[in-house]
Amino acid sequence: MHSAMQQPFKTAVLILVWGWLLFLVLAPNLLVVGASVMTRDPATFLSLPLNLDAYRQLFAPLYLDVFLHSLYMAAMTTLACLLIGYPFAWALSKVAKQRQLVLIFLLIVPFWTNSLVRTYALKLILATNGLLNSALMSIGLIDEPLQLLYTEGAVIIGLVYLLLPFMILPLYSVFEDLKQELLLASHDLGAGRLSTFLHVIVPLTLPGVLAGVMLVLLPAMGLFFVPDILGGSRNLLVGNVIKNQFLDARNWPFGAAASIVLTITMAFLMFAHRLSKRRLGEEGA
Amino acid sequence: MKKLALAGMLALGLAGCSSEEPQVLNLYNWSEYMPQEVLDRFTEETGIPVVYTTYDSNEAMYAKLKLLDDSAAYDLAVPSTYYVSKMRQEDLLMPIDRSKIEGFDNLDPELTNLDIDPDNQYSVPYLWGTTGLAVDTADVQGEPVNAWADLWDERFKGRVMLTNDMREVFHVGLRVLGYSGNSTNPEEIKAAYEKLSELMPSVRTFNSDAPRMPYLEGETDVGMIWNGEAVMAKDVMPSLEYVYPKEGIIAWLDSFVIPKNARNPEAAHKFISFVLQPEISALISEEIGYATPNLAARDMLPDEVANNRASYPTATDMINAEFQTDIGDEALQVYAKYWEMLKSGQ
Amino acid sequence: MARWLPRTYLALVYLLLYVPIVVLVVFSFNEARTGYSWGGVSLRWYEALFNNRALVGAMWNSLWLALSAATVSTVIGALTALALHRYRFRGKKLLNGMLFVVMMSPEIVLAISLLALFLLVGLQLGYVSLLLAHVTFCLPFVVITVMARLSGFDESLPEAARDLGASDFTMTRTVLIPVIMPALLAGWLLGFTLSLDDVVVSTFVSGPSYEILPLRIYSMVRVGLKPEVNALGTLLLVFSLVMLMLSQWILIRSKR
Repeated sequence: MHSAMQQPFKTAVLILVWGWLLFLVLAPNLLVVGASVMTRDPATFLSLPLNLDAYRQLFAPLYLDVFLHSLYMAAMTTLACLLIGYPFAWALSKVAKQRQLVLIFLLIVPFWTNSLVRTYALKLILATNGLLNSALMSIGLIDEPLQLLYTEGAVIIGLVYLLLPFMILPLYSVFEDLKQELLLASHDLGAGRLSTFLHVIVPLTLPGVLAGVMLVLLPAMGLFFVPDILGGSRNLLVGNVIKNQFLDARNWPFGAAASIVLTITMAFLMFAHRLSKRRLGEEGA
Repeated sequence: MKKLALAGMLALGLAGCSSEEPQVLNLYNWSEYMPQEVLDRFTEETGIPVVYTTYDSNEAMYAKLKLLDDSAAYDLAVPSTYYVSKMRQEDLLMPIDRSKIEGFDNLDPELTNLDIDPDNQYSVPYLWGTTGLAVDTADVQGEPVNAWADLWDERFKGRVMLTNDMREVFHVGLRVLGYSGNSTNPEEIKAAYEKLSELMPSVRTFNSDAPRMPYLEGETDVGMIWNGEAVMAKDVMPSLEYVYPKEGIIAWLDSFVIPKNARNPEAAHKFISFVLQPEISALISEEIGYATPNLAARDMLPDEVANNRASYPTATDMINAEFQTDIGDEALQVYAKYWEMLKSGQ
Repeated sequence: MARWLPRTYLALVYLLLYVPIVVLVVFSFNEARTGYSWGGVSLRWYEALFNNRALVGAMWNSLWLALSAATVSTVIGALTALALHRYRFRGKKLLNGMLFVVMMSPEIVLAISLLALFLLVGLQLGYVSLLLAHVTFCLPFVVITVMARLSGFDESLPEAARDLGASDFTMTRTVLIPVIMPALLAGWLLGFTLSLDDVVVSTFVSGPSYEILPLRIYSMVRVGLKPEVNALGTLLLVFSLVMLMLSQWILIRSKR
């Protein structure tokens, strides 16, 4: 029963919502796709001859190297987050329910602080004259300060520090859902600990792992301020390349092409995630 | 009720950003290139607040100005010589009305009426300086460092710092090979790129935000640095020496320009006049260590500043010095290409 | 598995997460200029902070931007969620798809797409461009929060309202909104924080006419020698904590 009186509100809402999304999401993304196939122009940023030059440039050995190195650092970050976060989420799910809320709160608090300032704090810790070196030297573990700052490792540490909660939360959520009965059943059927882990827990938590990977891998390629602060303007991420191309070198087609490649990576990961969920649905208990 | 309140807030919010801005001066400058005191005193004297934003390279400044071209965001910018020339030729600048500024005649005639801007129609020199070697004598043992070529020494592996400046880094590469730092020859530039690539494993970090920091923090021991930064660093770390390399120091000049669509050119002119006052120019030079082109100001400098070889080099120091000149857009593109390759190569 | 192992592990990770923050807070009270030595307790950096007019100005700008962005995105997000939940219309999948794209896209992709749009349209970079950008990336989070609340919701109430002849608008206003209010507040707070913290998007779509805090902090951190950064960081931390506790308190209250 939708009388004529109800229509204006509905129409207004739909216009607002569609309008916003079409104008500020669909259109800009299409523009980026378009920009990636245009030609660079020093005066107006983009000009018409359409071509795939930007993509060719992107896949030339030099930038392919940058992309792969950035992917490598992002992958290491994701791996580190996974290795730290998986047991963490498991342990967290086993804690008494009342305490869990507090612990999650404590997990999120650092996340709610300004990421630039947190990265800067890491600099204070990792610097040659910084706290870590001072501490290690004062207890006699090392003689010379370790050169931790302005290295690939520093960038990875920074990224892990900023992105860890994004891995932990989805993992925690799947661990929460993990039905104890399944584990008991597996045990009753005679499976050992390792076997249970590999054949029951891992497959069931896989969607959480993939969600975590998605939430960490892509930002880990885009957070350009981390290499700026901790990497010494070296050890660049794809995000740095995109930023430089857009804001310094003014090579928009190239920046756009790099951005499209990132988006495609994201789509690929989303697809993998979907697949894992579906397969889980088929095999699920 | 709530919806009205929300709508009201929204309207207020959008209105709050309208084009009716109070008189401000939007100054776009290199980081660590203007004492806060100067800005405060300017506001005190003229009542015009200063919105101060910084950049760390000519390229970043130029790109941002082009991006904001129509929106008239900045009233003053401070490009280096070759960018003054570039921006002038691309019609991005507003002519400076000499009748509105005082003190222009105090400027060193050697630094005015240059090719980059005949008769200074579009620019007023602000500071000039040099880029040379920084050597932390506390950590550098053995042979003294006195040439750009020394940076390639094995003992400095992983301890070198370079400024994050395309032309300066290539200048070093070119000089080491015996070419001019203002070369426009693609072959020479390529050779410089190859030579610089050999240096990359030694480079710990690039820094143009505050080049003295990596040295002060103990992260690097040797490398490039701007003379003003070296002077500022010496206060905190006396072991940091500023060395004039054998192959020749790099010299440059930064000038005030007014972007074509500046919203407040009146304030811009006032600021230039303010800085040109000998007292203010002297203050700036003393605070941040760069050389002022203002001769009247130089007379006012205390001895230890005027005689500081890092700020004010002697004639001997300037042997083989090369001033950064305009090299044209085409050559800039060649440099840009190799610079990207250099920075991206891991 | 030994009982103490998981707990120790949890404690260790929490410790590592909090060390940088503790360092930050402690050093904000450090008398010494360089961050690497201790000079005694002092409030001088807090003082310097408050005297730094540019920084304070940027802070107000950021707060106002976050406030407006959170509010606008909450309004639009709530309406979107309501529309998705209640109305039938074509293209729901596309709508959901677009929201998903915004949420999952790396921020930098979002940033350049919006920059391209603003330039094409000739929009001056400043408050308006920032607002549009911030609302856009906050939107999906609000939608999800509200949708989660709506999905567990009893349909009989709005049905009853409609049977009694209330218009859609009235019904929404008097019935639905109070119900989703906690989700609205949570979404608002989330949007507020996201906006206040944003660096990546703001780097691209801001102009000097509207200076915001993260970009100022970025310059300060890059130059590196201003210990005011520590003081600022500590203040922001305290502020976030207060906001977070506020949101928790509201959510807990609403559950009653």
